[in-house]
Amino acid sequence: MNLTSLVFLLFCIIALGIYFIVPKKFQWFILLISSIIFLFWNNLSVSTVIQALLVLLASYIFGILIDKYRDNTVKSKIFLVIGIAIILGQLICLKYTNLFSITINHILQLLHIDFQLGLSYFNSLVGISYYSLIMISYLVDIYRGACKSQKNIFKCALFMSYFPILTSGPFIRYNDIEKDLYGKHKFNYDSMCRGLVRTIWGVFKVLVISQRLGMFVDTVYGDLATYTGFYTVVAALFFPLQLYTNFSGSIDIIMGISEIIGIHLPENFTAPFFSKTLTEFWRNWHITLGAWLRDYIFYPLLKSNAMQNLTKKTKKIFGKKASKKISLYLSMLIMWTIIGAWHGGAYTFIIGSGLLQFLIMVLEDTLEPLSNKINNKLGIKKDVFSYKLYQIIRTYLLFSFTMIFFRASSVGNAVEIIKNMFVWNPWVLLDNKSIFTAGLDIQDFRVLIISLITLFAVDKLSRSGSVREKLFKQNIIFRWGMLYILIFAIIILGCYGVGYDPAAFIYRQF
Amino acid sequence: MKKVIKSIIFLLILCIFFYNIINIFWLEKNSISYFYEEPKNSLDIAYIGSSTVFCHFNSVLAYDLYGFTTGILASPAQPFILTKYVMDECEKYQKPKLYIIDIYQLASELNKYYEEVNLRDVTDAMKFSRNRTNAIKAFLEPLDLGENNPNYKSGDNYINYEFSFLLYHNMWKHLSNKNFVGSLDLYKGFLCSEETVQINPQKEYYWKEDLVKLPNVVEFPKENKEFLDDLLNYIHEKNLNVLFVVPPRLYSEGRNITLNQAIKIIKENGFEVINFNTLEDFDVDYSKELFNGSHLNVYGATKYTLYLSKYLKEHYDLPNHKGDEAYASWENEYVRFKNDFKVLTKKDFNKVLNKYSN
Repeated sequence: MNLTSLVFLLFCIIALGIYFIVPKKFQWFILLISSIIFLFWNNLSVSTVIQALLVLLASYIFGILIDKYRDNTVKSKIFLVIGIAIILGQLICLKYTNLFSITINHILQLLHIDFQLGLSYFNSLVGISYYSLIMISYLVDIYRGACKSQKNIFKCALFMSYFPILTSGPFIRYNDIEKDLYGKHKFNYDSMCRGLVRTIWGVFKVLVISQRLGMFVDTVYGDLATYTGFYTVVAALFFPLQLYTNFSGSIDIIMGISEIIGIHLPENFTAPFFSKTLTEFWRNWHITLGAWLRDYIFYPLLKSNAMQNLTKKTKKIFGKKASKKISLYLSMLIMWTIIGAWHGGAYTFIIGSGLLQFLIMVLEDTLEPLSNKINNKLGIKKDVFSYKLYQIIRTYLLFSFTMIFFRASSVGNAVEIIKNMFVWNPWVLLDNKSIFTAGLDIQDFRVLIISLITLFAVDKLSRSGSVREKLFKQNIIFRWGMLYILIFAIIILGCYGVGYDPAAFIYRQF
Repeated sequence: MKKVIKSIIFLLILCIFFYNIINIFWLEKNSISYFYEEPKNSLDIAYIGSSTVFCHFNSVLAYDLYGFTTGILASPAQPFILTKYVMDECEKYQKPKLYIIDIYQLASELNKYYEEVNLRDVTDAMKFSRNRTNAIKAFLEPLDLGENNPNYKSGDNYINYEFSFLLYHNMWKHLSNKNFVGSLDLYKGFLCSEETVQINPQKEYYWKEDLVKLPNVVEFPKENKEFLDDLLNYIHEKNLNVLFVVPPRLYSEGRNITLNQAIKIIKENGFEVINFNTLEDFDVDYSKELFNGSHLNVYGATKYTLYLSKYLKEHYDLPNHKGDEAYASWENEYVRFKNDFKVLTKKDFNKVLNKYSN
């Protein structure tokens, strides 16, 4: 079910309507029913039911067992490991079997061995990557004593499958959401208004901006023989914006719906394109994924005995400071490889959203002293607008480069795109017509420019407080006027309906 | 309570804006959209069919001559299966004394000939209602157009037809004054051209083209027979007064055979059919009176209108509204038509005019 489709709109109206009509003690049950319908919409089969039940039962049973044997470290650890192994095992089987098969096939080919592993085509449930990690964190949190296990299996199922977050996140923690999720909620007019405004803004981002950018990017990347040089450069620069507006727009829709219900979800984006370094960028981009990996992989890894031993051993050879960096970078490398792999079972994801991010961050860290030295020698001021702008643009360009791999169909395709960018044809930007042949005409570009200016203005304003709160403080004429403009911009300028693939969410497949 | 009222006002304003925007975002107004502009129960006749209706019958000229009003509910290549639904729509707003149904489309096979636009021209112009939904379903459901029709684009997606705004919102790039003020090319649904194309029937110019599109239509298509039977049942059930016509046009031999079969069935059901191609006292000069291969120009259309309107006046009890203030728009539209087509006063044409009007 698409987040910007009429079907989803109707689904939400019915689900929320029933939610506020039924007695409050049954509200969570309505959410569960809605989530089950959403989960199996167009995807109901024996295989998908087994997938969902496997994760649910593993989380539920081992959650209770870990809780029960909290005082027995060995037993609780064993239950934790088994629980995680089951959840992770099904995720790997469903999403990464083909990656392993392709890798082994490549190796066999290199060794001239005439044997190839077949590829499997499992039909995995929507949101599998989200609910798998969410349930792993649930087990770990019980083990750590951060929360208690849920004794009601249906309530546990709701935590696993809460429908708004299944397509694009954000990652939720049991402890943070328990009260809201199972709590009794009275219909609140102000929450509804705030939730609706956020949802409408999200739909605007997806249908007016992201889909429009996608038309250009898809046209160029789909025909690299025709669209060379600056076409490819523009497409590469457009893609991060397409990804951002698609992903953050979906999150806005999800947060808005949840706000109407009375469930408060953690923020996932805080104007990432105003970041001055890639490290800062990732603190503002898909924040809940970063936090999840930091809390459940990076810190445990860094504090693990293996890493401590490594630090000790390398300390003798490279010194104290360098040895700490080695452990840090190794933990980062593992974490970023996992981030890359989480995005999809292909090397393009591992390189694009994993290894390249790691490499750039390491370079930022190691070259910072040198950069400071050069700046000091040349007398370059770092606290002025122009330097900050340079840093923002540099970060955007670096991220755009990494996303070439993320978007490409294969590593070879990514290399082809990069090579393609070096064809010298700047006139396609200047002759006033060529650029308008790649999926977007001049009117679309005008809409895009105005929309992007609006987007960045809102993002910039959001850094100094909630834009919605600022809007709600305005007079009714301005407030309603802005809302009508936004709604009709979506209705008229949105890329939906006949001739469009309505919002095939980029992050949905994860 | 204050919040509820505020919400209602907000939604009301939203609906008003939306309704007006939907009306602007059209490809172009057609004859059916103009039908809705007529005051309730003001039409004496409803004329239903395809382009051979709105290009051939000049309803404002008929009004000027005899004072009765004719609503044109026609669209390009209007699929015959939709006739029943168009009649039903007409019954909701008007109580015409007579329906005229053009049966030219009965010779076309639905799943080979029609395109998405042929359905859209009818249902997109219709107001949102259960009848409209039924019309869409009737067109889509019995047919596997998705694979059979190369012109078919989104037929499997019923919702795109039901909510036509899903298609037309893209029109923002192509808005013109026509979207805001309506088309000035139509006179109460009648479309006219002064241009003349010379067709030599001996060389079977248009027949050949027709045969390419409909290579084997010599037998009355099974589906069309079902559509016709269904329509005749509907007419009997509603007890409506109907006249069927075969418009003047160049036909392939196959179409003639097909139409004759249809005429036979209609006559067996007790209805009258006028076949303009076999009338002894009516003839079209295909070298002068066509503006394209199959449609009459202003001369041919005037000739056709004069003949048919005279026939209608003589055979049916139709009122004369001339001089009635309530029908001033018909008078005004005739004046506009006369001013736009001054060619009608030419001497040689007047001879023909006199022949049919006396």
